[in-house]
Amino acid sequence: MKLALREKIDNSARIIFRTTGLLVIVILGGIFFMLLWNTVAFFLKVKPMDFITGTQWNPSGSTASYGILPLLVSTCLVTLGAMAIAIPLGIGTAAFLSEYAGKRLKNILKPVIEMLAAVPSVAIGFLGIVVLGPGIASLTGEPNGLNALNGAILLSVMALPTIITVAEDALHGVPQTYKEASYGVGASKWQTLIKVTIPAAAPGILAAVMLGVGRAIGETMTVLMATGNASAFPKGFFHSVRTITATIAIEMGEVPYQTTHYYALFAIAAVLFLITLAVNLIGEHFVNKFRKYQAA
Amino acid sequence: MKYVFLLCAILLCSCSSNNKAIKVKGSDTEVNLAVDLAENFYKVNDDFSVAISGGGSGLGIASLLNGQVDIANSSRPLNAEEDSLFKIRGIRIRTVIFAEDATAFIVGKDFPLDSIDVPSLKKILSGEYKTWQPVTGKNTPVNIYGRQSNSGTHSFVSKKLKIQFSRDAKEMNGNAQIMEGIKMDDSGIGYVGAGYILHGVQDQSVKVLKICEQPGQLSVSPMDEKAIQEKRYYFQRPLYQFIPVTSWEKVSAFIDFEKGPEGRKIIQDSGYYIIAHQSTK
Repeated sequence: MKLALREKIDNSARIIFRTTGLLVIVILGGIFFMLLWNTVAFFLKVKPMDFITGTQWNPSGSTASYGILPLLVSTCLVTLGAMAIAIPLGIGTAAFLSEYAGKRLKNILKPVIEMLAAVPSVAIGFLGIVVLGPGIASLTGEPNGLNALNGAILLSVMALPTIITVAEDALHGVPQTYKEASYGVGASKWQTLIKVTIPAAAPGILAAVMLGVGRAIGETMTVLMATGNASAFPKGFFHSVRTITATIAIEMGEVPYQTTHYYALFAIAAVLFLITLAVNLIGEHFVNKFRKYQAA
Repeated sequence: MKYVFLLCAILLCSCSSNNKAIKVKGSDTEVNLAVDLAENFYKVNDDFSVAISGGGSGLGIASLLNGQVDIANSSRPLNAEEDSLFKIRGIRIRTVIFAEDATAFIVGKDFPLDSIDVPSLKKILSGEYKTWQPVTGKNTPVNIYGRQSNSGTHSFVSKKLKIQFSRDAKEMNGNAQIMEGIKMDDSGIGYVGAGYILHGVQDQSVKVLKICEQPGQLSVSPMDEKAIQEKRYYFQRPLYQFIPVTSWEKVSAFIDFEKGPEGRKIIQDSGYYIIAHQSTK
């Protein structure tokens, strides 16, 4: 009796978790096909070349234009800016945590950094409007601080926890023997870190960077609040930009169903999906490479 | 099985009291005001239930066409297409104008001018003037703080001025964010509902521009109650409620409350205006 019951529980648990696992795949596939379906419907109405090379996104203008270029450039501008800040800071912090920080300091710093990831994006966006925006404006002499730089700084703050945590794990995972060999030939701590530990952990650090990029590209609320959302073609870090995510968030609410504009939003969502998918795959690839390298 | 019956019984009971349930849908401008009104309406009529949702004027009117709501809030009159649809479907509606909204144009508090004329405003908002030079003589760039295109205020301003907004216009997430932006930015200009401007307070952190239709004419402030009563402010608009005749009896208590002294006080406290001699037709 007892055995039969245990087998029953065992079996049903297996079935339940297999279904939930498969369900995730089905949902992902469903989303992908919905995006694809609507994107195809969009390309039946608008030429793909106009979409890719058009320099204007103005679906509600007298002649509607659906060029993804300004949105894509905005997204890249903000993300690259965020990474230019977050990568050196993140790797530096990770190296400090794993090599220099004492045990007590590390035990405090790590959870605090992870808590940074728990701050809601809308709160960070609000900081961008009331603190960072005026700060940038007074430092640069621009009339206001609602621009790509503001978004980039905020996104770097949001990507930092991911980058630090994953990079720290990678640095920590480098075998002690490597470092000992380096010290053995007379290298200092700094030389060991730069010449041995970081190169050995490179795939893991790359993975950290890719996951950070994925976090920054998909972020909506913060950029929606902090970058000003002007739809003109972006001219630089001190200009207001409108990213892909912000455009979807702004326009999805008002668009009539089954119109070209509606399909266009799915098309740019599909582009965003492909970008994040690629970034995540690259990140995942490096994580696996690092693990294999560790196991060897 | 027993519980299913019980559930059905509960459902039936809740359905039977439906003649006291009022469904309201429509304009986002009006939704906060309508919720305020409904909450106070409950205090005197606790046997009614009023369900209010936003979504935009167009959505409210569409729901009314489909017979899903009792009141459609709208910050614009019916357009010709909607009007003909109501005629085709044989739905007779009554129109209530329950409040008047004014859109205020705001600038930083150090802005040199107190008023602006409509032709200049057109050129500024459409992006024709890139700097303030032609208006104030200062060579600073114009920064427009606007709403997103799904906002009724956005389309109201662009229709009233007959312009397309400049592509450099910032699209903020709401009236409060526009206020924040203008506070910090001396070269900014933005538009918000009059409800967002503190009334009767001297120490404003932004300056509310007076508007005149042509240069040299008398300019009017959106906070000038008397001018709004006489419909002299350029950017004022009535807030409508459309009610199908079949629902009129059911909602009349709510409409009476809106028109009554308590309702009027709520409307005025929310920053909207009431124009005398406006009523149902």
